[in-house]
Amino acid sequence: MATLLQPEKVLYLVRGEKKIRVPLSQLYFCRYCSELRSLECVSHEVDSHFCPSCLENMPSAEAKLKKNRCANCFDCPCCMHTLSTRATNIPAPLPDDPTKTTMKKAYYLACGFCRWTSRDVGMADKSVASGGWQEPENPHTQRINKLIEYYQQLAQREKLERDRKKLARRRPFMPQAFSEKYGLGTRLQRQRSGAPISALYGLSLKEGEDQKEITIEPAQALDEVEPLPEDYYTRPVNLPEVTTLRQRLLQPDFQPAGASQLHPRHKHLLMKRSLRCRKCEHNLSKPEFNPTSIKFKIQLVAVSYIPEVRIMSIPNLRHMKESQVLLTLTNPVENITHVSLYTCEEEDPDDINSTAKVLVPSKELVLAGKDAAAEYDELAEPQGFQDDPDVVTFRKSNKIGFFIKVIPQREEGDVTVAFKLRHDFRNLAAPIRNTEEVEATSEAIWLTHHVELSLGPLAT
Amino acid sequence: PQETGAVVCVESDIRGDVTIGARTVVHPKARIIAEAGPIVIGEGNLIEEQALIINSFPENILPDAEDIEPKTMSIGFNNVFEVGCVSQALKIGDNNVIESKAEVGRSVILSSGCIVGACCAVNTCEVIPENTVIYGSECLRRVQTERPQPQTLQLDFLMKILPNYHHLKKTVKASSTPARS
Repeated sequence: MATLLQPEKVLYLVRGEKKIRVPLSQLYFCRYCSELRSLECVSHEVDSHFCPSCLENMPSAEAKLKKNRCANCFDCPCCMHTLSTRATNIPAPLPDDPTKTTMKKAYYLACGFCRWTSRDVGMADKSVASGGWQEPENPHTQRINKLIEYYQQLAQREKLERDRKKLARRRPFMPQAFSEKYGLGTRLQRQRSGAPISALYGLSLKEGEDQKEITIEPAQALDEVEPLPEDYYTRPVNLPEVTTLRQRLLQPDFQPAGASQLHPRHKHLLMKRSLRCRKCEHNLSKPEFNPTSIKFKIQLVAVSYIPEVRIMSIPNLRHMKESQVLLTLTNPVENITHVSLYTCEEEDPDDINSTAKVLVPSKELVLAGKDAAAEYDELAEPQGFQDDPDVVTFRKSNKIGFFIKVIPQREEGDVTVAFKLRHDFRNLAAPIRNTEEVEATSEAIWLTHHVELSLGPLAT
Repeated sequence: PQETGAVVCVESDIRGDVTIGARTVVHPKARIIAEAGPIVIGEGNLIEEQALIINSFPENILPDAEDIEPKTMSIGFNNVFEVGCVSQALKIGDNNVIESKAEVGRSVILSSGCIVGACCAVNTCEVIPENTVIYGSECLRRVQTERPQPQTLQLDFLMKILPNYHHLKKTVKASSTPARS
């Protein structure tokens, strides 16, 4: 029975750049455009960075400097779990008197899951609890930095030349403030379809500084390659010593082949993102800044605006025989909603997946508003809706159960049906266009959604 | 039957011919069942709640068959059997740790310093080399450079505290017939 509640059974169609069919719980609703939006038709922006284990917030500039890694926390190179610092007491000679020994604390890193310790790779115990651990240096850092500087300068020069060639005077572009973060993130930069190196331009020097000529030496090709050791083919492989591909690629600087060279790395930061509708540029989802808080400042999710259809029970479905499927409709808003269902027409371009005919109730269904206090009110009065008992089976606060008739058209395979759901939506957030008209209730607009249900296989 | 020095709670379920060494702690609800042969447990072991150490008949051999010799299961010292683990291995060395809900089959021989991670089931027919760690949902393995530390602090603490809250099984002399004490 619980399998019928799985969200993938009921899909809503989103008419964006691409037509996507997604469960309602994964959709957002832009109440300014009055349309459903999925994750693919919104723009994602980075809000803040935080470390998943110490939950420390980090401003974006600092995150970029530290290559998006936390300063305090480490990952186990073996199983990628978070490392914890453990202490042991070791006897150490006193500085004044070398003959006496006293207990000093020594700290090492250990993984609770795979029991890896920092002593396994030969890292000595440190005398401070945090801050003593260093990542090994990449031998090629200097060369890479030089190359990056050279190419940044080249990109900047090319961009100046391109701008000079343009005849129309563009308004001052303000590159610095926007290009600080991730080049193609903001909408101003997205509209330019420029040369491929424009992404690097975002990281470049300020225009006012004098530009030194940076020259690089070209890479030198070597004729001789180090030969393989003689016993390369005959030496037996020590399996526990060989690193897995995943362990190796997590450290792209070194990619060690042996497990005794796997050093721990600082933990990656996670980020909170905010979503923005691409058409009207309003925010759809904005999380709170505090990493420990899971709430949202703005949360325009579809389940709080659109009535949700769920499958309650499916009888045995037989080929070309009509059966009744019980569905429920839940009203998420606080005012009464009127819902009507329509079957898809013959040549509906959205209706590509259905393998059965469906007959939906022709009358309009009325859903009561969601009343948060209703569950505590034991003496609730009956709601006074006249329901056709052939169509509506039960009614409970803001939810009703109703029947649809399904006639599977194919002999084999899963049964999928589709229909249109039309409901009225009162936009409480829309700005008042005409300040002269003072209306107490806002206008209702009718929205239509295409819903697909997957009812499972035919009964054998 | 146990030697002096072991702490065995009354609520633990010990059946058959079981010998428990000194300084070993057997928690309540632990089960040590010697069905197909005696079990000899060494010193300094820690057997936690709901752990099951069983010397049972292999599945495809009937208990009434005549040429079955009782095989002794021997467990070394300083081992830790964490909560809910199942151990059927016939030979376990020293300083091993079998973590919670792990299962060790009958044909496995644990040498020294091995760690069988939580929820890992090891059913192969092999000798696990020293200082091996088996971890993860796919029972990956790696070798660590040092063996796990013996839980002396924990054992001392338990030997002091457990008698305050539980009755202990009394020692039975080794010469008497094996029976539930």
